[in-house]
Order: sequence, then C-alpha cells, then structure tokens
Amino acid sequence: MAALTVRRRSLSGREARFGLAFIAPWLAGFLVFALGPMLASLYLSFCKYDLHRLEWVGAENYRRLLTADPLFWRALQNTVVYVAISVPLGLAGSLAIAVLLNQNVRGQRLFRTLFYLPSLVPAVASSLLWLWVLNSENGLLNYGLSLAGLPHRLCPRWLEDPVWTLPAFVLMSLWGVGGARMVIFLAGLQGIPESYYEAAHIDGATSWQKFWFVTIPMLSSTIFFNLILGVIGSFQVFTSAYVMTSGGPGNASLFYVLYLFRNAFEYFKLGKASAMAWILFAVLLGFTMIQFRQAHRWVHYEGGDE
Amino acid sequence: MPRHDRLPQSKPPAGRERSATCSRRALICAALSSAAAVAAGCGTAGRSSRVELRYMAWGNPEQLGVEQQLVDGFNRQNRDIHVRLFRVPASAYLNKAIIMLASRTAPDVIRIDHYNFPNLVRKEYFRDLSPFADSDAQFDKADIFPAALQEGMYRGRLYGLNVLLGGVMMYYNKALFAAAGQPDPYRLWMERRWTWDRLREAAIAISRHAPDGRPERLGVQIPTFPHNAYILWAFGGEILSADGKHCLLNSPGCARAYQFLADLRWKDRVAPTPSQGALSAFGFESGKLGMTFDWMGMAPRFRRAVKSFDWDVCPVPYGPAGGAGILKGNQLVMSAETAYPEKAWRFMRYLTSARTEAMLYGDKLRRGDPARRSVARSQEFLHASRPPYNTGAYLSALENGRLLPIDARWQEWSTVLNAELDELWGGRDLDAARVLARAASKVDAVLASEEGF
Repeated sequence: MAALTVRRRSLSGREARFGLAFIAPWLAGFLVFALGPMLASLYLSFCKYDLHRLEWVGAENYRRLLTADPLFWRALQNTVVYVAISVPLGLAGSLAIAVLLNQNVRGQRLFRTLFYLPSLVPAVASSLLWLWVLNSENGLLNYGLSLAGLPHRLCPRWLEDPVWTLPAFVLMSLWGVGGARMVIFLAGLQGIPESYYEAAHIDGATSWQKFWFVTIPMLSSTIFFNLILGVIGSFQVFTSAYVMTSGGPGNASLFYVLYLFRNAFEYFKLGKASAMAWILFAVLLGFTMIQFRQAHRWVHYEGGDE
Repeated sequence: MPRHDRLPQSKPPAGRERSATCSRRALICAALSSAAAVAAGCGTAGRSSRVELRYMAWGNPEQLGVEQQLVDGFNRQNRDIHVRLFRVPASAYLNKAIIMLASRTAPDVIRIDHYNFPNLVRKEYFRDLSPFADSDAQFDKADIFPAALQEGMYRGRLYGLNVLLGGVMMYYNKALFAAAGQPDPYRLWMERRWTWDRLREAAIAISRHAPDGRPERLGVQIPTFPHNAYILWAFGGEILSADGKHCLLNSPGCARAYQFLADLRWKDRVAPTPSQGALSAFGFESGKLGMTFDWMGMAPRFRRAVKSFDWDVCPVPYGPAGGAGILKGNQLVMSAETAYPEKAWRFMRYLTSARTEAMLYGDKLRRGDPARRSVARSQEFLHASRPPYNTGAYLSALENGRLLPIDARWQEWSTVLNAELDELWGGRDLDAARVLARAASKVDAVLASEEGF
C-alpha cells in the first residue's frame, strides 16, 4: 500500500513536472510581459515619472486625479454612460442575432458568415467607414433619416454636437454585435436540450414564453459571461474615439483610456497614467464583483442547485 | 606549370584515423580562420576605419527616398563615415525617439519636430552644438535666419539645427478667383492691400450654394489652432505672455480675430463646416475651394494632385496689426550619448549646408523653406518652372515669420485650448470673446499647475 502511494506520488510529481514544463513558456511570458509590467506600473503610480526623472510622490497622483482633475471625471463619466448603454444594447443585439441564426432555415451558414464578417474589419478601418456613415452633411445615416421624412436641418449632427456624440459611438458599437459574443450565444443556444422546448410546447407555451421561460434561464450563464466581458471591453473603448474625434467635440468623446493614453504618450505623465490604469482596474474589479454577487439571483447553472 | 605544383607538400599522415581527424580539425580551423580573415579583411579594406553613424528620420516613402539620397551622397563624400538611415513610421516616431533617448540607445543624429523639441532638450538628451557651430568655419552660422536659429536654442546655447523649416501659406485656386472676377491676391499683397477684409470679399464672391442650401463651392478653409495663429497676431493679439506663464487669448484683439473666422463659417457661410469639410470633401485638390492655409511643404502634394486648375501661393493677409505668418521647422539634434560627436557634426553640417538646402527646397522638390539666407535669396530657390510661382511669398514668410510659443507643455495646453475652441468652430457658441475667456482660464490652469501630475 505504502509502495503504491509512493509510486503514485512520484508519478504525480512527474506529471506535475511535465505540466510545469508545458506551461513554462506561458508562465515566462506572463511574468515578463504581464505581471512584471503590472507591478512596475503599480510602483510608478506612486511616482512622478516622465521617462527621465523618477520621483516618489506617494498617493499624490491618486489624490490629484480624484480631487483636482475635472477631465478625469469627464472621461470616467463619458465611459460609464457609454458602457451603461452600449453593453445592454450589444448583448440584446447579439442574442437576437444568435436566436435568428439558430433557426433552421436555408442558407443558415451563409447568414452566420455574413453576420460575423463585420467583426473581422480592423477597428481603424471600421472607424473611417463610420466617419462617412455618421457625417451629418453627406452621411448615409442622415440620408436614411431624411428619406424617412426627417428634415435635413433636424437630423442629428452626430460627431459635431456633444449631445449626439456618445449616442453615435453607442450606435457604432453595435457594428460588433455579430462577432464573438454572438458566436458564444449561438453555442449556448445549441446546448439547450430540445426536450425542454417540447415540454413547453405540450404545456401550450407560446414562442415568446418559450424564449422567456426556457431560452433565457438556460442561457443565463452565457449572458453573464458575455456581460462581464462586455463591461470590461467597453470600459476600454479607445480606437474609434482616437481615430474619429480625438476626444472631441469639446471632450464629449474623451473616454477613460483615451485620456490615459494622452497622459502617458502625449504628455508623458507616466505616473499619473499608471494611477489611472490602477483606478480603472479597481473600477472594473468592483463592477465585476457586484455582478458576481448579483449573479445568484438570475444566473442558473444546470445542476447548480444540487 | 600547373599552379598546384608550386604548393608545398604536406607531411604524410601517421594513420588513417588520425589523418581523418586532423583533416576535419584542419578543415574546421581553416574555415574559422578564413571566416575571421574575411571579416577582418572586409573591415580593413572596407569599413574597419569607417565609423557607423545612425540617423533617425520619418517621412512618407518619397521623402525618405530623398533622405536616403542625401545619406548616400554623404557616404560617398566621406570615406571615414558610414551613415545608416534609421526609418521610423511617423505614427510611432515620437514614442520611439523618447524611449531610445531615455534608454541611452538613441541614434547619433535625430530629426525632431519642433513641437517636441522644447520638452526634450531640457532633459539633457541632446549635445550642445554651440562649440561646433562657433568654431566651424564651414558652417557659417551667420547665414541662418535668426528665427530658424532661435528654434534650436535652449538657455542661450544651440542644441538643434533647423531643417524642413516651413511657413503657413495661403494656397489659392486661380481659376476660381478669375471666374469670380476677383483680383489676384498675390498682386494685392505686394501692394499691401491683401487684407482679411479683402479675403472675406473674395470668399463671398467665390462661394456658391445649391437651391437647397448645400454648398457647391466655398471660399476658404478655416484652419484650427495653431495653424491660424497669424490672424491673432494680425489683429493685435498674442497667445502667451513673454514669460510663457499666462495665456493672453482673453484679449479684444484675439476675440476680434477669432470672431472674424467664426463668422466666415457660420454667418457668411463661405467656409466649410466640420461636417462639410470632413474627409476632404472640400479639400483644395477638389477644385471646390478658393483658398486654404497650409504649410509650405504641401506644395509637392498639390503639384501631384492638382491637374485641372491653376493655383499658387500668397502670404497670409494683412490685419490692423500687420501680416506676420507662422514659421516652424524640425530640429536636427545630436544624441548626448554619441561616441562620435565630431563625425556626427560633419553629417549635420552636410544636411544643413547651402547645397543640401538648395536641393531640398529648390524648384524641383519644394519640401520646405531654407533656413539659410543665401539659399532663400538664390535663383535656385526663387526660380520656379511650375507652381507655385510666387516664390517671393516664401521669402517674405521667412523674413517676416514669427515662431509659435511652443514650450515644454505645449501638447497639454494646446489640447485643452482646442477642446474649448471646438465650441466656436463647431458653431455651438458663436461668441468668440466668451469662448476665449473660458479657454484662457483653462490654459492658465494648466500653465499654473505643477508639471508632471
């Protein structure tokens, strides 16, 4: 028995060594390219640093950001509003498309490919495309609105009017509803046993009731997963604002990461930018924890209650 | 006699195995020796005595092609130096330069845009060029325009040599001026009658709108800050105080100037709005725009792109307080870490010599303005065989141009300023005085704040 235990131990030790050897490249990459820079940025967030002189300033970067930098709050506000609108809309859009693409119709694969295609367009290219679409004078969107009967003078000045700038970015974010999020929903939908729908059908459920009482509960863990990723991803919105508006007009599209980028790579305030990165980390962690705490109320895992 | 007959005979091997081992060893030794000899030989015959310098620059492929030609020319003339052009894309250039400078791995000679020069020079990344410039008889410092020299100075010492100096010019569509019955602005300028009011008259005459109100052609493109700083000066305004600690945009002169520009767009409707002008819908090349303001270095692009109408350049209009334009260049700097300062200086002297300037800025390329008076007044520069023909406009820009108040925190306060000016240019607040008052207080707050936070 003892010999067997020893043998098992040595075997597991050997397996562990193999395991470690296999993950070593990833581990090395993580330490050098992720954990190392993260710890360095944590240290820098307590310093004044412009790549030339390093001066320890304690929590001064955090204090000034939170109490004396109106642009920090403006950027955070813009981002939170953007997240609050774009994430639910994006989730709903992706789910709707996934449900449609899950129907057994002719050309199903073609439709799936077509809906996925926009997410393959590089962010810079799609930003330039949207510059055309959102142009208030000659853009496709306002042209469509004028065809629908809205006089040209009443059409929104999307990227020129601060009131319409955030809605424009939200609208643009829907460009990606057919991407990875939709694929995850599609996989989730295909994992729902057909027998549940058959049982609901026998009970006389309508299509809407089937969707609401079978599909949504069965997809709740997938929705939760996409929600977490969506919030984290939307908080990091950058490329479109950088390419299209540079944060304008009048800081209406100054998103958090854009302001962080400016501080780091235009003003070379790397200490302040590091502090901003850690505040963003704390905000995201807070949001994620809240979502996890609330999850038990609406997220159902098959067999999870046992 | 066959050649091998002359070779000394080697001793016969003691045994087959040993022989094989020896011959393998001999082969390896011979190969290594040969490789070493080749390497050493190459060095001796070729570059062992040649010092390698790195020169960092950015530009489009065509511009970098010209840079490479210059480098090749220098390498041919200087057998003891080999310069290698280190190309970095414009989008990554500043970050790359700063990281290399901070990590003490920067190339020997670097081109820096003046927008970034004041911030970098104070960090002691660059070598003081004054000893070279003052003692080198071939350099002829006195030949350089004072403004061009001034841009490269820091605390009374010379740290950067000006290259690709440029003035903001007014490019105008001669065909649209003629069709609108407007006199040639350059002729008016020579008579000191090309004023902002005349510009407005011309812009109104050129502009044409469709019955539904959409513009078909427009008079003038309104530049944003800092490319419109000359109108502030023309109306008696200033941007910063002499000590650089206060913003002076909250003044009647500045308000009048920017009100004038805003009215061109929103009252007279002779300048494209941001959405009308987006994505170059009313670019100068389109032929639908009468006048635009841009750097002199745009001439090569317009030469390539404009085929359907005549165009030329004119200095910026006169205002009540004069008609000075903007001057701004790039600086050639020497890394403080270079191991070969004398040789790096020779390369910098070559790049800023009258001969190089004549090539870069003459009729063929017109890549910018020369920093040397002798070149600016030479026939090589003033003669034009194709547009722009009004080369006197360039000379005037050089002789009368003013420098922008670019300081170490320029990026920060100009970004804050432009965010405020968006209100005026976007037509959301059409009271220039009010917008400038807000902008000035925000710029003041930046200037007063502790740097680095």
